[in-house]
Amino acid sequence: MIAPTLNAYLAVAVLLFAIGLIGVLIRRNTLVVFMCLELMLVASTLALVAFSRYNGTMDGNVFVFFILTVAAAEVAVGLAIIVALFRKRQTIQLDQLNTLKN
Amino acid sequence: MNLEAVKLAAADNLWSALFPELMLAGLALLLLVLEIVLPKKHHVVIPDVASAGLLGTLIGLFINWNSSLIGAETFNGLIHHTHQGQMMRAFFMICALLVCQLGRLTLARQPMPKIEFYHIVLVVTAAMMLLAQSNHLLMLFVVLETLTIGLYILVSYHRTSTASLEAGLKYLLMGALSSGILLFGIVLLYGVAGNPALPAHSDNAMYYPELTRFLEGNRDNFVAGLGIVLVLVGVGFKIGAFPFQIWVPDVYQGAPTPVTAFLAVASKAAGFAVLMALCGKDGVFASYQALTTPVLTVMAAATIIFGNLAALTQHNVKRLIGLSGVSHAGFLLLGVVASATSVLATNAIYFYLFAYLIASFAVFGVMTHLAGPDDSDQDLDHYAGLAKESPFLAGVLAVGLGSLAGIPPLAGFMGKFLVFVAAYQSGARWLLAIAAAGVVVSIFYYFGWIKAAFFETWTPPADGAPTRPARTPVTWVTGCALGFLALASVFFGFYQGPFGQFLALK
Repeated sequence: MIAPTLNAYLAVAVLLFAIGLIGVLIRRNTLVVFMCLELMLVASTLALVAFSRYNGTMDGNVFVFFILTVAAAEVAVGLAIIVALFRKRQTIQLDQLNTLKN
Repeated sequence: MNLEAVKLAAADNLWSALFPELMLAGLALLLLVLEIVLPKKHHVVIPDVASAGLLGTLIGLFINWNSSLIGAETFNGLIHHTHQGQMMRAFFMICALLVCQLGRLTLARQPMPKIEFYHIVLVVTAAMMLLAQSNHLLMLFVVLETLTIGLYILVSYHRTSTASLEAGLKYLLMGALSSGILLFGIVLLYGVAGNPALPAHSDNAMYYPELTRFLEGNRDNFVAGLGIVLVLVGVGFKIGAFPFQIWVPDVYQGAPTPVTAFLAVASKAAGFAVLMALCGKDGVFASYQALTTPVLTVMAAATIIFGNLAALTQHNVKRLIGLSGVSHAGFLLLGVVASATSVLATNAIYFYLFAYLIASFAVFGVMTHLAGPDDSDQDLDHYAGLAKESPFLAGVLAVGLGSLAGIPPLAGFMGKFLVFVAAYQSGARWLLAIAAAGVVVSIFYYFGWIKAAFFETWTPPADGAPTRPARTPVTWVTGCALGFLALASVFFGFYQGPFGQFLALK
């Protein structure tokens, strides 16, 4: 069996990051955008673990715990805002959320 | 597990060094406890407790200003204590005090739970204070997220108002996007700086001095360059620099006015504190100036041009102040570009930030008094006849806006002047020309606002229905605070204290 190299892991991480970034920019449903944002964080997590293993330092692995915590807090606040907004407006499509205009 | 190593590491955790942040965190928890313990009719004292605690901590910080820890690092290098750090600590605490004061006015008009507002403001302030002193990329990321997540909640605090929720959602999506990009930049820097195959690699790659050493040893590493650009993009979002300013007008309009002030002043200053630690002359990215300086220069020019032109067409004052804040971020970026070659530019930026704080809060204070129950609806027309009805508010507004516009002899003028001199010394001539043109344009929209307050008269519509919100009377505490801010704008225009030595050193 061939062990995957650092580059293989990084390729997957960059791919995940790109999918997340493009998703955030082009998708119009708030929940899908939110999932894409999480995908970007996961990409960083994967790259961190791969780097940590390759570099032989534990910093990266420890950092992952912080990212998990931060992502959980972000999701908690984010979903709360989305639910509150849905109750008000009955929609979470980004192009219909246009109360704020000059 | 090596117990001795753990003990050695723990010995470096000097908790007393973080007493202001710990005080604020404790105070934040105390507020929640008080809300449970006190009977409902005594809840009015809780904001007073928050303000008194903040004031006490601020005084404690001043007493301990020249502490023996200045220049030292604690918590195994996570925190670096500097005079700049002390200054930013004071800056954020003054912001929090004023935000709490404005918060009382705004929250009184809303059927909302009130205590959590002060709680989150205190937590966010503590995070900002740590951010200004962080010395490690992990610390940077965690405190940046703490303050950003706190601000998501604050922006959508009026959860019965669609505008506030929408602003919260937009800020959330943009903030999370920028955090994601920033994080990926940090990961790339960590990965490349710890790579055993490269010269000057480090086992502690996220620690600023080690990272600086690595970057000096590898001046044209592509991955490191990419990481640096991603980090700059992430910070660019937070300060609202072009092309990452798209969220600014909407979020500033929808957020409750005190939170808009918090975003405009404290959150922006936090971003600049990070930027100076990274891109200054002795900053972490100093050896990549061939990359960072062009990026920041283009960003500064575009930010000044966009901010000023977009502000010209605004009628909602919250959008107007938001976009004018974008142009101020541009002027500050000009200072950051200059600080790549001259350490003195850093002083200019700090003075600019303080002048901006004083002037902005004067304007936001007046805005809070003129806003009604619908906080996002604050039109220029609402200011008509203000000078006759309330000469005090109109006067404070005129001084604040004049200072933001950079009219001599106010503090804002000196701030701009210092930054421009620094930019001239560093040789960014064409950028300086754009900035000067930006100042001229900005005077136009600031004076449109002053004109509405002083020279236009309010005629109520014929059918008798009031189309503008009732003004809130000025209480003596807020009156004193606003008067003090206006006087400070004049005072610091004449006397710049230690910052004035900047000119003498030329």
